[in-house]
Amino acid sequence: MDTPSGKLVRSHCVGTTAVVYASDYLNKLTGEKIERECRRQLSGGCRALVIDFSDTKLVNSIGISILLGIIDVAEKNGARIAFSEVNNETVQLFEMLGLTRHVVLAKDEREALLNLSHYETTPIVH
Amino acid sequence: MNSRSPSENFRRILGRVVQQDFVGRAAELDRIMVQAEPANAGRGLLLLMEPSAGVSELLRQAYDRLFNQHTDVIPIYFAITPNETTAVSAAIEFLNTFVQQYIAFRRNEPVVSNAPLTLQDLLELAPPADLEWIEQLIESYNHLRFSNDDKALVRFCLGAPQRIPAGRSRPFVMLDGSQLAEYLNGAVVLGTEIQRVFGRGGFSFVLAGLRRQILEAAHDAGSDFERLDTLRLEQLETTEAASLVEHVARRQHVVTSEIARDLLVQQFAGSPFFIHIFLQAAREKHRSLISYLDCERLYVDELFGGHIHRHFANLLEEISPRLDTRQLLIRLLWEAAAGEDQISSFEVWRKRLHMAASELEEVLHRLHVQEFINWDGATVEAGAGPRAWKDYLKIRYRLDVLNEPRALVVADTLADSLKRAPHTMARHYKQIANAGLRDLISRFNCQRVPAVLFDYQGFSAKYKGAESDTVVSGLAAANESIKLPQTVHLASCAAFFSDMRQLCEEDHCLVAHTFEEGNYSDAQQVIWLAADIESKLEVDVEVARAWCDRLENMAERLGFTRFQIWLISNEGFSEAACRLLEQHKGFGSSRQQLGLLAARVGETVVSEVVQTDHPDEFLMVVPMGEDNELIAANTAEQIAKRLTFRPEAINQIKTAIVEACINASEHSFSPDRKIYQRFRVESDRLVITISSRGIVPANLNGANSGSEAKEAVEERRGWGLKLIRTLMDEVEFERVDDGTSLRMTKYLRPQKSTTGANE
Repeated sequence: MDTPSGKLVRSHCVGTTAVVYASDYLNKLTGEKIERECRRQLSGGCRALVIDFSDTKLVNSIGISILLGIIDVAEKNGARIAFSEVNNETVQLFEMLGLTRHVVLAKDEREALLNLSHYETTPIVH
Repeated sequence: MNSRSPSENFRRILGRVVQQDFVGRAAELDRIMVQAEPANAGRGLLLLMEPSAGVSELLRQAYDRLFNQHTDVIPIYFAITPNETTAVSAAIEFLNTFVQQYIAFRRNEPVVSNAPLTLQDLLELAPPADLEWIEQLIESYNHLRFSNDDKALVRFCLGAPQRIPAGRSRPFVMLDGSQLAEYLNGAVVLGTEIQRVFGRGGFSFVLAGLRRQILEAAHDAGSDFERLDTLRLEQLETTEAASLVEHVARRQHVVTSEIARDLLVQQFAGSPFFIHIFLQAAREKHRSLISYLDCERLYVDELFGGHIHRHFANLLEEISPRLDTRQLLIRLLWEAAAGEDQISSFEVWRKRLHMAASELEEVLHRLHVQEFINWDGATVEAGAGPRAWKDYLKIRYRLDVLNEPRALVVADTLADSLKRAPHTMARHYKQIANAGLRDLISRFNCQRVPAVLFDYQGFSAKYKGAESDTVVSGLAAANESIKLPQTVHLASCAAFFSDMRQLCEEDHCLVAHTFEEGNYSDAQQVIWLAADIESKLEVDVEVARAWCDRLENMAERLGFTRFQIWLISNEGFSEAACRLLEQHKGFGSSRQQLGLLAARVGETVVSEVVQTDHPDEFLMVVPMGEDNELIAANTAEQIAKRLTFRPEAINQIKTAIVEACINASEHSFSPDRKIYQRFRVESDRLVITISSRGIVPANLNGANSGSEAKEAVEERRGWGLKLIRTLMDEVEFERVDDGTSLRMTKYLRPQKSTTGANE
């Protein structure tokens, strides 16, 4: 696996949903890049976020703590958030550290977008 | 033709160690050699020695070097020893040594320097060209010896180097132990006479002695300070002291480990004297020094009856010869040192010791010179001196004053020393980690730097998650800058305000006296109050407020009218904390900003996989940081594949290694910034050990209560160990003296999960 330095965060918008792609290793630096991109998208008017982990092979606990921060920011902005294409080992870690309580997990980007579009018309109930 | 190298030709004469083994004082040795050059003819050099810093071997090495160079400089080395009882006997011994070493040099026969020869023997050995003046010298000496004029005799003997006829070689006299000269019996004060005669003798010389005493003696002798240079001789720096431990241990055939070496360096604060006598004791007692326990056992033995005991017992006996007074002195010294208020008046000491004022003055002067106390005439401050001195005092107090059982005192001292060892190292590691901030502030000298380096919020908005190239080019183009002041004085907050000791480590909080534009006026004077806050996350507003209040309170109490608060934290500050800092007109920087600032103010990953003797074991050392945990994880992947682990298990192993490496990097204050990894392949399992040197963090001490794990989840960080325990089959902390060593096992076929370390 390559080290993640030197790569930019890919993202695109589908309506009011931003899709942000995580890199192969989710650590402090790449986590912060994702956070920065998510904040940028939210301040640009996005109402939902999909973070796609299709390239992600390894995550560490600092990266996960940054994801929790992103979830907080999204909640404060009234935005929904989904994670797509997370591999089994990473799902296991997310479950272990309680992320899955706060986020929708989707098989792939398409399913994530579909889920979020459903939420857009459904009031959020805590 | 002699084909031997210069070092092979070098003859060891007075030096007790070979040239190559003399470590740690290269700069000082060079300085002494400079003093011997013609440009410094007639000048004196005062070697101001911190107690137990060691000077004798330095002078002996200088002697050997000058002798071997064999130029027109004739080295003379003389040590006043405690065996000399009077000024007259010491002066006569000096005369003998001078004549002997002069002739040895002139004949180019080192053996003459050390041989037991009388003046008559020497006369017979004198080269024909020198015979006449040496004969006259001895004749005059014999005449004066029976004249009953001690002062004249002392001056004559000390002035012998002046009698070398003009045009011959130049003497270079090195006098060692001049502190002893003050206490010799008789009407003549040898210390004063030495400074008088040497100062006016026209030859170059070095006088080495305790720093508090030698300057005083120079003043008493009315020395011409324009013709005197000074050189301070303090304890060795850490790396030099470590090198000394290695050299002496090798010479003494004492087996040591790196951790023992580093502990000795810190415990003896880099003192060559204590390091030497300690390793000598290890050799005499056939002890290896591998673990903390080895070191502390020997240390306690030394305190109770070894070289260290004899050193302090002799000093105390010299300071206070009478046994009854000595016991009172031990009691007073320890009680004052251990008490809350270490400063008391001269009068209190006089009453407690039942001494006449003049007698007490003598005792206090000697204690002051040895730096066991600080005495300014009116007040006495106890609690000074090296760690070993304080331990020795405490032992004597408990044994001699409290009459406690010896076995109890021995056991307590050993237990206390062992408990203290990790703290000693931790303090050292933290000092290293914080040296950066101290060094950075000390280099403030009106440089212009981007203002955003002091504004975490602005920096974070612009550069969080950005590549370093982007940050660097962004800073280069930054419009807003600030001009740093010039730092003129820098010390820890605790040095100004002792209450701060309760709140943070010495070097975590600093006070810098600065002047804007380097302009020394009231209006331009600003006191910077900098605090480095330990936090793994952005510092929240409550913590930031507490620090602002604390620093403002200190500034008010110290009368700092213009001050600048600067808070630093690893991960910067929350938005609310940044707003608070703005209200207080304070600065806030993250560790990244600090690094960028340091680069402006002042100034490749290599990994190695080694197969060990065991065919199925691999060792790897990687530097901390730079995502190097990935290198370790990928190596583990390759090894795990050989054992046909399932892909899921391989990923779990990799994640566990990544977490272990992050823990090692984040928490340890590691001195070498390296992570040591051992991969052992067994038929049914892979055993991975991740070790690092440094501090054992509280949350990594092997305990694993459920509530701690829950708290860790709540805190969002500190999850590493929890993850490791879940991902691996067995997790155990191995006991090591220094740092942590985490052993993780993954079985090919999953075993019943064991989640506890040391369970």
